[in-house]
Amino acid sequence: MIRPTHDFLVLGINHNTAPVLIREKVSFPGNHDGAITRFLTQTGGLLECIVLSTCNRSEIIAVTKDPDSSAENLIRLVSEIHGLNQDRIRSYFYIKKGPEAVRHLFRVTSSLDSMVLGEPQIVGQVKEAFRRDATANTTGPLLNRLMHRAFFTAKRVRTETGVALSAVSIAYVAVELAKKILGDLEQRQALLVGAGEMAELTARYLANVVKKPIRIINRTFENACMLASQFEGSADSIEKLDDALAMADMVISSTGSCDPIIRFQQMKAVMRRRRHKPIFMIDIAIPRDIEPEVNDLDGVYLYNIDDLQSVVEENIGERRLEAEKAGGIVDQEVNKFINWTRSLEWAPTIVALKEKFEEIRTNEMSKMNGKLGSLNEAEKDAIEILTKAIINKIAHGPISFMKQSIKTKKINQHVDFVQRVFGLDEFVSDTEPEDAKTSEYEIDHRN
Amino acid sequence: MHLIFFKVAAIFYLLASIVYVTFLLRSESSKCLSGFGFILAGLVAHTISIVHLFIAEGFFAMATGFDALSLFAWLVVAIHTTIQFRDPNPVLGSMAAPIATVLMLVASTLSYQITQPIVPVLKSWWLPIHVSFALAGNAVFTIMAMAGAMYIFQERLIKRKKIGRFHRILPSLETLDTLNRRALPIGFFFLTLGIISGALWASSAWGSYWNWDPKETWSLITWFAYAAMVHQRLALGWRGKKAAMLALAGFALVMFTFIGVSLLFVGHHSFVSLALRMVPA
Repeated sequence: MIRPTHDFLVLGINHNTAPVLIREKVSFPGNHDGAITRFLTQTGGLLECIVLSTCNRSEIIAVTKDPDSSAENLIRLVSEIHGLNQDRIRSYFYIKKGPEAVRHLFRVTSSLDSMVLGEPQIVGQVKEAFRRDATANTTGPLLNRLMHRAFFTAKRVRTETGVALSAVSIAYVAVELAKKILGDLEQRQALLVGAGEMAELTARYLANVVKKPIRIINRTFENACMLASQFEGSADSIEKLDDALAMADMVISSTGSCDPIIRFQQMKAVMRRRRHKPIFMIDIAIPRDIEPEVNDLDGVYLYNIDDLQSVVEENIGERRLEAEKAGGIVDQEVNKFINWTRSLEWAPTIVALKEKFEEIRTNEMSKMNGKLGSLNEAEKDAIEILTKAIINKIAHGPISFMKQSIKTKKINQHVDFVQRVFGLDEFVSDTEPEDAKTSEYEIDHRN
Repeated sequence: MHLIFFKVAAIFYLLASIVYVTFLLRSESSKCLSGFGFILAGLVAHTISIVHLFIAEGFFAMATGFDALSLFAWLVVAIHTTIQFRDPNPVLGSMAAPIATVLMLVASTLSYQITQPIVPVLKSWWLPIHVSFALAGNAVFTIMAMAGAMYIFQERLIKRKKIGRFHRILPSLETLDTLNRRALPIGFFFLTLGIISGALWASSAWGSYWNWDPKETWSLITWFAYAAMVHQRLALGWRGKKAAMLALAGFALVMFTFIGVSLLFVGHHSFVSLALRMVPA
């Protein structure tokens, strides 16, 4: 082959391969302007490069002529940058090349490789890394295309599978449940029973969801006041519990009491006062604050911490199932992309082939010029059209021969063969690989 | 002509039902959007069919069982469409579309032609007015029953802590209860108008407001049932599951009055052999 081969390389560490102690050492937090990416690109002999750094992963996505030696260089550079022993950190890295690198990036961007499967932040983080490094001029036609296909794949995964649909944290599950019971939460009355550490965490979370001031009730009134002042809520003493329950839409109980503080009979009376308006109660205390029988009352929906946890686990299982579906989508997109990169390999040869034929045609035409002088303009045009048609017909055979080679995966042999048969060597070497990415070939593979 | 549009509408409703049921089984949000598209297309064709029939035949457009069922289906779809535009949820569609389809299919088995000479009493503007009010009430109660069924299902899932796919695609309890609260007075209003218009018509036709024909009796029973429901809801604050179960029970009564009475009893409202036979009081 005359044209140098370009290959994709991903070198990285993530939550699966390295403990947090190593991950935090091998991150690139100072790469705001892409200076580190530029440094790695120049020093590591890369053609194109993007550096992705999140809390759970650090990855270098690159296009290089020789993936193996580039990977070695990068490991050396990364350990030098961070002042680490290269042999000690080598085992934490994964190196992916060619189609595997493409698949890895697509999976990462689609959040299939995330610690929390389907978490939504990763797409934004990858986009930000790409934007930064594109501005730093370390990306080129191959990475630009690769990244756009990665975002497209992520979008397909998000819309065509349920991988990001179900809630997988206790707080999020609780909020989703509350919405399914109470509808819009903004104008709902939230009541916290207890003013400990858990109550504070809950209040912090609730403040994002509920706009109405949160009501806080505690056995020690002073503690309730302190918490209430933090979140602009209102505080009450424990004697007011029944009144507060009658007004609240959501109750989160987290006291340290040994005995239940909300009992069945008590809640039954409260529900009568509420005229059976639905109430969502969450008991996160251990031992429990609310008698479990309360859930049997009409209009009361009581969840304790174990109930919420089992919903979380169910949802995680559901996401795993959806991730399998997503794997199929990723495979499809990887294949499409790989086919496109292969088309880059025959594209310059097609250009060269057409140029060569055109050269032969114009040479022969000029030789004949004296003899054709007697013809009128219309006849000359006809001959022009005729000869062009002949070379196009001849070129069609070898071109489709190369295009078909995508399916057989013997593209190099086929392209090489065509080049040798038609003596194209000197033509192809004149053509820069970037020129090969003409719009004509892009259209062929847009789908 | 109107028959072609009627058939087109029926086919669209059928397609919508298929799409919605597939959606329910696989919970793919892209699918339910096309389901609603089919519903809209069906609604347009159906509207053309009804308007055309009305123009072609004047107020007799309401004279057969075919017309009644067709209008009933149209009302259900139209109300459902209004709700969808305000608060989109695919589950309501997956109930409304099959119901409309069934109504259309049953209607298409009935004769749409008036085979016997029309009894003079039917040649009155009271006919479309009375039938439209009565069917509007029925359609609102149908939608209310669907919301009730969804409420009971969703409530059960939350109560039993079975949070899964169905829980996520069903609307919130609050939404469903609001639907019940808003629909109840509207449906009751139409039912009342239906009965009053019927009485007025009877008075102008036979000189007596009320003749204790079986349909009239059962309509009155239905009216009392819904009046009680309105009272429970407004005065006693019944809501949620109780209101949802009442909506279902009320719907059973409505359906009996609408279909059962016509099949079991003979009276002014009987469509014997689906042509018209009027028994003067």
